[in-house]
Amino acid sequence: MQDDFDFFSVDPLVDTGLQGEIRALLAKCGLDYEEGIDVFVVCRPKGRLIACVGLEGNIVKCAAIEPDWRGESLSLKLLGEVVHLAVERGHSHLFLYTAPDNVEFFRGCGFYPLAEVPGYVSLMENTPVGIRSYCNRLKLLRKEGATIGAIVMNANPFTLGHHYLVTQAAAACDWLHVFVVGEDASLISYRDRYALVEQGIRGIEKVTLHPGSQYMVSRATFPAYFFKEKGMVGQCCTAIDLLLFRTYIAPALGVTHRYVGTEPFCPTTRKYNLDMAHWLQEAESTAPAIRVVEIPRITVQGTPVSASEVRRLLHARDFDKIETLVPGATLDLLYDKYRMVSVA
Amino acid sequence: MQIVKEALAGTLESSDLMVKVAPSSDGTLDVVINSEVMRQFGAQIEKVVRETLVRLGVVEGLVVVEDKGALDCAIRARLQTAVMRGADCRDLDWSILS
Amino acid sequence: MTLRRSMLFLPGSNAAMLSTAFVYKPDSIMFDLEDAVSLREKDAARLLVFHALGLPVYKDIETVVRINPLSTPFGLKDLEAAVRGGADIIRLPKTDSPEDVHQLETEVERIEVQCGRPQGSTKLMAAIESASGVINALAIATSSPRMIGIALAGFDYVMDMQTERGDGTELFYARCAVLHAARAAGIDAFDVVFSDVNDEAGFLKEVELIKRLGFNGKSLINPRQIELLHNAYAPTEEEVDYARRVVAAARAAEQQGLGVIALNGKMIDAPIVNHARRVLDRAQASGTRK
Repeated sequence: MQDDFDFFSVDPLVDTGLQGEIRALLAKCGLDYEEGIDVFVVCRPKGRLIACVGLEGNIVKCAAIEPDWRGESLSLKLLGEVVHLAVERGHSHLFLYTAPDNVEFFRGCGFYPLAEVPGYVSLMENTPVGIRSYCNRLKLLRKEGATIGAIVMNANPFTLGHHYLVTQAAAACDWLHVFVVGEDASLISYRDRYALVEQGIRGIEKVTLHPGSQYMVSRATFPAYFFKEKGMVGQCCTAIDLLLFRTYIAPALGVTHRYVGTEPFCPTTRKYNLDMAHWLQEAESTAPAIRVVEIPRITVQGTPVSASEVRRLLHARDFDKIETLVPGATLDLLYDKYRMVSVA
Repeated sequence: MQIVKEALAGTLESSDLMVKVAPSSDGTLDVVINSEVMRQFGAQIEKVVRETLVRLGVVEGLVVVEDKGALDCAIRARLQTAVMRGADCRDLDWSILS
Repeated sequence: MTLRRSMLFLPGSNAAMLSTAFVYKPDSIMFDLEDAVSLREKDAARLLVFHALGLPVYKDIETVVRINPLSTPFGLKDLEAAVRGGADIIRLPKTDSPEDVHQLETEVERIEVQCGRPQGSTKLMAAIESASGVINALAIATSSPRMIGIALAGFDYVMDMQTERGDGTELFYARCAVLHAARAAGIDAFDVVFSDVNDEAGFLKEVELIKRLGFNGKSLINPRQIELLHNAYAPTEEEVDYARRVVAAARAAEQQGLGVIALNGKMIDAPIVNHARRVLDRAQASGTRK
């Protein structure tokens, strides 16, 4: 009634007019529009859009306020509204990426810092006990030993190469923790991937399998927008993911070594392995360094075994070739459930 | 009351507070309070929160309070609202709310 | 005599306002659970108001709670909160007939008994927001001994009349009808909200009009309007002077056991004395007009 502005939510796919206004406001504030956003909360007094914030699942993105209107009250209301909306949509645990300069502001909105790439990006979550609770649960699965290893895999799908990696790492450690990344942006669904990993590593001793968590960051959800030099995006995403691992996850389990397969062909993955060495071993941190160990990929009939190769063969429906690269359970699943799927 | 789902009440504006409640994962009652005036009033805020939870009969759950300098009456109101939303409770028992 | 010149509307969902509004010193504060509160926040606002009513600072200001209509899922719960919380007055929106008031009264009685509040201590105010309400104004005004006043609510009323808010022509009849009903019933009459908080001149013009018509007060949505209103309602020095002499004459007549009060050779009857008392009350509350 008084000076209150109305906030309302908008589906950008339905309300294309407003989507245009949102794009303009974001551009004005130096941000790019993100296509994956499910819903925006906007403030539009007298027909003029002055503030917006987007939600993509449980990630807060594209928060922008007209420069003239930047004051405490409007920003707090805006964030408050999006948090309420998120809860209504079933997401009470929210994440947010922002420039490090904005961390203080979002602290005032009930977000807590998780990890930061200095000068580029900070990841925050809206609970003071999120990562803490997660790590407390992990601690219950801690095993003692001088050499505790970890592997983080997408396993899209689980191949003989993955099996080899796990076998080698387990043999070299007192205990090995294997994580299956949770993001469902892969060809094979998370449930299927996890099931295949579980079956695939049966029989290998001294291994604990962990489901993925919100604290393993993937490209799918990482926002691209606030980096003018786009080249930084992949690196920042990787950095945040690795910082979380080094700062929280590894100490909870006592991880000392992280194992990855070498990457002969894919430059992106090769770069990722290099970044891993940087952030886990070399970068300054209060958390102990983690040794990165690269295990050479196995080959079958001269072909390095990789999940991407299996996906390519799936697209080509070459199940005879696939059979040489994956365990039986994987082959069965691919044939039964995924043989008609088109691979991008 | 039993918190059966996640719920939220309040705002982040000055003199208000935001309260989030969630079911407990391990049968404990975990109360986390964050306030701009933590040093001066943290203990008082916690006292009001715990008293209110006792009166509501909440013995387990996660309660997170983001305080922005709210009066005790606002703390009680927001906490009761969040708990009732989290307990999916529509009927007001005024004897436990006063 | 209870002065009700200014009734400040506060959204019941705003914790900051509820915590601090008493500093503005209106004659009464209205905690709104109806139009100012979104559907999502109805439950939250109800509890905020319930607890705010208990603040010591509100013991000295007349408190009003505007509940949702009893026909909504919220109305009855709002009423419980308001009565149990200790509100002085319940404002019933969209009152179209005396039956609306009787229904409310029944519930109020029940709650007073259940929570141990003195019977009859919860007063009522009916907001008239439609053509029917205006036509039934007298019946509504006389429908209950708890009724202390009736208010015209402009926004919904003009919509019901299929017109818009303008220079006041659209409220002409409604204002007069509500006023006459209130006077005939011996209760207060309140005018509509003036929503353009930046138009001070417009506000003052409207206040001048309704004061001349005889309204006891007006609903306000911005604290800035309080002082403007109180000043406009404040009597002039001459009016105060005259009022003092009238009251003195009345007192003298009473002391001397005379049946007739005289001032300057003219007979002064009861309405003039009552008016003089009101003038002095207003002067006491806010001084004389600046």
